[in-house]
Amino acid sequence: MAAAPPRLSRRALATAAAVVALLLSVLLSLAVGARTIAPSAVLDALLHGGHSDAAEVIRQMRVPRTVIGLMVGAALALAGTVLQGITRNPIADPGILGISQGASVAVVLAIAYAGIHTLTGYVWFAFGGAAVASVAVYAIASRGRGGATPVKLALGGAAINALLVSVTMAVLTTKASALDEFRFWQVGSIAGREAQVAQQIWPFLLIGTVLVVSVARGLDALALGEDVAKGLGQNVGAVRIVGGIGATVLTGAGVAAAGPIAFVGLAVPHIARAIVGSDHRWVLPMAALVGPVMLLVSDVVGRVLFPPGEVPAGVMTALIGVPFLVTLVRRKAVPA
Amino acid sequence: MSADTAVPVRTPVRPAGYRVVRVGKRGRLLVHRRAGLVAAALAVLLAAVCVAYLCVGESFVAPAEVVKVVIGQPSPDELVVGTLRLPRMVVGLLVGTAFGIAGALIQTVARNPLASPDIIGISQGASALTVGAMTFGLTSYTVLPYLSVVGGVAAAALVYAFAWRGGLHATRFVLIGIGFAIALRSVTTLFLTKGDYLVAQQAQIWMTGSLNGRGWDEAAPIGWALLVLLPAVLWAAWAQRTVSMDDDTATALGVRLGRVRLGLVALGVVLASVATGTAGPVDFVALLAPQIARRMTRTAQIPLLCSALLGAVIVVFADLLARRLFSPTELPVGVLTAAVGAPYLIWLIIRGHGGRAGGNA
Repeated sequence: MAAAPPRLSRRALATAAAVVALLLSVLLSLAVGARTIAPSAVLDALLHGGHSDAAEVIRQMRVPRTVIGLMVGAALALAGTVLQGITRNPIADPGILGISQGASVAVVLAIAYAGIHTLTGYVWFAFGGAAVASVAVYAIASRGRGGATPVKLALGGAAINALLVSVTMAVLTTKASALDEFRFWQVGSIAGREAQVAQQIWPFLLIGTVLVVSVARGLDALALGEDVAKGLGQNVGAVRIVGGIGATVLTGAGVAAAGPIAFVGLAVPHIARAIVGSDHRWVLPMAALVGPVMLLVSDVVGRVLFPPGEVPAGVMTALIGVPFLVTLVRRKAVPA
Repeated sequence: MSADTAVPVRTPVRPAGYRVVRVGKRGRLLVHRRAGLVAAALAVLLAAVCVAYLCVGESFVAPAEVVKVVIGQPSPDELVVGTLRLPRMVVGLLVGTAFGIAGALIQTVARNPLASPDIIGISQGASALTVGAMTFGLTSYTVLPYLSVVGGVAAAALVYAFAWRGGLHATRFVLIGIGFAIALRSVTTLFLTKGDYLVAQQAQIWMTGSLNGRGWDEAAPIGWALLVLLPAVLWAAWAQRTVSMDDDTATALGVRLGRVRLGLVALGVVLASVATGTAGPVDFVALLAPQIARRMTRTAQIPLLCSALLGAVIVVFADLLARRLFSPTELPVGVLTAAVGAPYLIWLIIRGHGGRAGGNA
């Protein structure tokens, strides 16, 4: 315990650095784009309003986009952290586990058969789909020998993915009108979202975050192994269920708002753990800070890469995420 | 159990259940008895499915007329059967064969039924390049298949390179493949948003795997490709056995395992990519066919011929259903193979195939 004070100050320092990084990425997200606006003008537009072109662009387009980036980044990062904790599995991620795809399919069905065409309308369907998919994948992977090993979870996710993609295809082939709307949502992006979307999803983010934070201690115990956790008096089943619901709510809200954005939930928890250690009471807030940084930076890079077009954030995060997964898998000589 | 030839055979060690077939003066082939029977049965089944495919459609054509058309006699159903259904069926047949063999080879090397082309990124690589080309205005069905081959091979090479670490570990191969599959899929979706609506629709159907509108023009390239690759496939049938030995035995016998494995994977990837180029990534055929074939023949290694025949049966039968199930709407054939294949994959995982590195028992 003698080492506690310096470690605490190091963690506080790291947290402060993460906050600075977050503020910088917010500033970038507000300033950079088809037309670059000077940071001073950005601050001016935010603080004093005004009706110049720059001020309008920032208030009408970039602020909602940035706010949604913040929310979705935090949601996916928290969801990934909890999923990795409850499955005790370093490659858990809403995308790999098929949870995002579950939300996607529900959205397709909503577009094609329920006549729902607004992003705000998608959110409930996204939840339902995410919940069903996450339960299905976990049920598949935990059966059989060895329980929910990384590769079984990934494969269960791949299987559910394939099944859901075929459902999506059957719908899109018979209901061609849905495709035009769906293809733009499917790619995963935070561009062109209205401020209303943020208003709609924040309660879900709050609920999800509360659930997730409430199991932080349980996740720490679970990290020591199931038996040890039980010995420490943790109700392992309750931790898994509450954490799973939290992750599902967060993923559903994130996917409804921004589409299936890949790999944020995979990479961010690892970065957060590398910075603050394995204590979930530190990892969770750190992930909530780093997640938005990754998403906003991906989004900004996507904006400037091939002007005048944009590469959606979902594609950028996938491209950034692959090297991450490769490193992670290769680090172990023989993966479990 | 003696060979039914008068000349004594010099191979004294013959695995149980195998018989020796002499080819010419010196050639000898070890043939698994049961596998031979299964192959014959599958060939009959395939013929039946093919006749059914030609009979059933918008209008029913009697089997007798179908046979007349196929053997080239004049018939009133010449147009429907000979021009519309037959070429499409031949394409399905070839695609299924290629996927069946590809799956068998890749699964043999990975020693894992889950390392199928549609899971480890090969299909997604082919899709990304093809859909990208379609988006930028290339719609010629004579060029697209080649791009698809390039995309599939490139993706496989990347996965292979990144998964290689002093050896090819099956689990690492699968995990890295899944990662690449996700990233490539998102690149494909990006292309989908770039093109106009009609291109997106066309690409989306292609991506599911479809035989709609395929004819002799599509049958010719894949037919030639299979013919050219035939010697390689025969080599693979021989090499397969050396690979399924354990590493020490094979090395002691002087087999260069690394190279043989690479050769088998390369052949499998090329076949899968060629098939994908022709019909799009028809899901799960490469996974299903070899596994069912192995269970039917009860061999330790995955039987190539039976996998090829089963692949053809699956694709032709699934396309028959895809044409008729929601008629007049034609579903892409891949929807049906996925609907059957995904539950099977789930069953495989539950049975515990995913948890271990090696062994395909």
